[in-house]
Amino acid sequence: MKQIENSLIRYITENKENIYRLAYSYVKNSEDALDIVQDSIHRAISSIQTIKNPKAIKSWFYRIVVNTSLDFLRKQKKVYIVDQETLESYSPGINDVYNNIDLERALDDLPIKYRSVVVLRYFEDLKIEEVADVLDENVNTIKTRLYQALRLLRVKMNAESVEEVK
Amino acid sequence: MDKKLEQLKKQYMDIPIPNELDFVVKKALNQRKRRKRLLKCLAGTGAAAIVFVIGINSSPTIANAFSKVPVVANIVKVFTFREFKIEDKNYHADLKVPAVANLENKSLENGLNQKYLEENKKLYADFKAQMDSLEKNGGGHLGIDSGYQVKTNNEKILSISRYVVNTVGSSSTTLKFDTIDKQKQILITLPSLFKDDSYIAVISNYIKEQMIRQMKADPGKVYWVSYPGGPEVIPGMEFKSIAKNQNFYINKDGKLVISFNKYDVAPGYMGTVEFTIPTDVISNILVSNEYIK
Repeated sequence: MKQIENSLIRYITENKENIYRLAYSYVKNSEDALDIVQDSIHRAISSIQTIKNPKAIKSWFYRIVVNTSLDFLRKQKKVYIVDQETLESYSPGINDVYNNIDLERALDDLPIKYRSVVVLRYFEDLKIEEVADVLDENVNTIKTRLYQALRLLRVKMNAESVEEVK
Repeated sequence: MDKKLEQLKKQYMDIPIPNELDFVVKKALNQRKRRKRLLKCLAGTGAAAIVFVIGINSSPTIANAFSKVPVVANIVKVFTFREFKIEDKNYHADLKVPAVANLENKSLENGLNQKYLEENKKLYADFKAQMDSLEKNGGGHLGIDSGYQVKTNNEKILSISRYVVNTVGSSSTTLKFDTIDKQKQILITLPSLFKDDSYIAVISNYIKEQMIRQMKADPGKVYWVSYPGGPEVIPGMEFKSIAKNQNFYINKDGKLVISFNKYDVAPGYMGTVEFTIPTDVISNILVSNEYIK
């Protein structure tokens, strides 16, 4: 148990930036993301005995972060939050950023269950099996969701680019 | 599509990392570790206290074991029966429970030992409660020490003093005494030494005289007693009289010693204060010269 605790602490310390980004991808502002990080660590340490496989610390901890984030969002009304920096960097006068905001918006517009899959699989580079583990779904469900997510993204982005062309 | 995903990922990786992250993570990890350690330590001492208390209260075997402590020739003695400890960065408790052994009067012996244990049990519980409430309000420092000293142990008399030092910023010291007639196997009280209650006034007057004499001789000494030309005494603090059951013990020379707790009759820097009463001051009112010579 002591060993697992040590490797958990080491894992958290070494991967804190990834953990933060994952939380941020849900709550979209740094204060809440920091709260999520803190809560997740507390939850993790107090439920450390539920780790079955010491090799699965990563997906076990990601699951806690995702669930903590979802709990947080559930308590809040769904709002789009754009921080000051983002607003400024996307202010008129810089031409080629419209695409990005569309892109980002396209991702944010996805229902959370699709977005989680995309973030974990493509941004956090988890294997399909690990994503399934984090989200507590079976592998086939995750595969299906991933295809659907990509299709939705493509549809959205294509639709938007069509509009742009017009 | 891959290119778009690349872009999305780049954006994701560009999420700025705030400087506080490092601090938040460290704090979260540390807090948990500290709390767990403290709980473990409390659980340990708590369990020991409970086992012990149940032991002495319910088991005649353990109570009788006091008398079976191996000593040569049945000498009445005092020893540290049990020690409770809490040692943390901010909290410190060290409670030494004395026990008397080899008294023939077992009910006296058990009564005393029970009392010593109860006192320390209460100290421990109070300390823990104080510690918990302090912890809820953001933490702090707290310390408690208790122990005992054998003042006199001759063929006639056993005098034990017990002390409690409470440290919250400044410290306060409380003393308690027990004096036992080893031959008659009884607990000696202050009133039992005298024919009547006149001892209260006689001793009080003597102590006041001594306080004034000491203050005149040494300006560094201050007692809360007023005399013409002396320092002003805060109203309500002035020493007027000893209590009927004032703390006392009988020293090795057979002299009566009256003791006051810190702050009782003098400012804190004077600490606990003692006055040895010359026997000729009280010889008229003593029941006998059996104990006091």
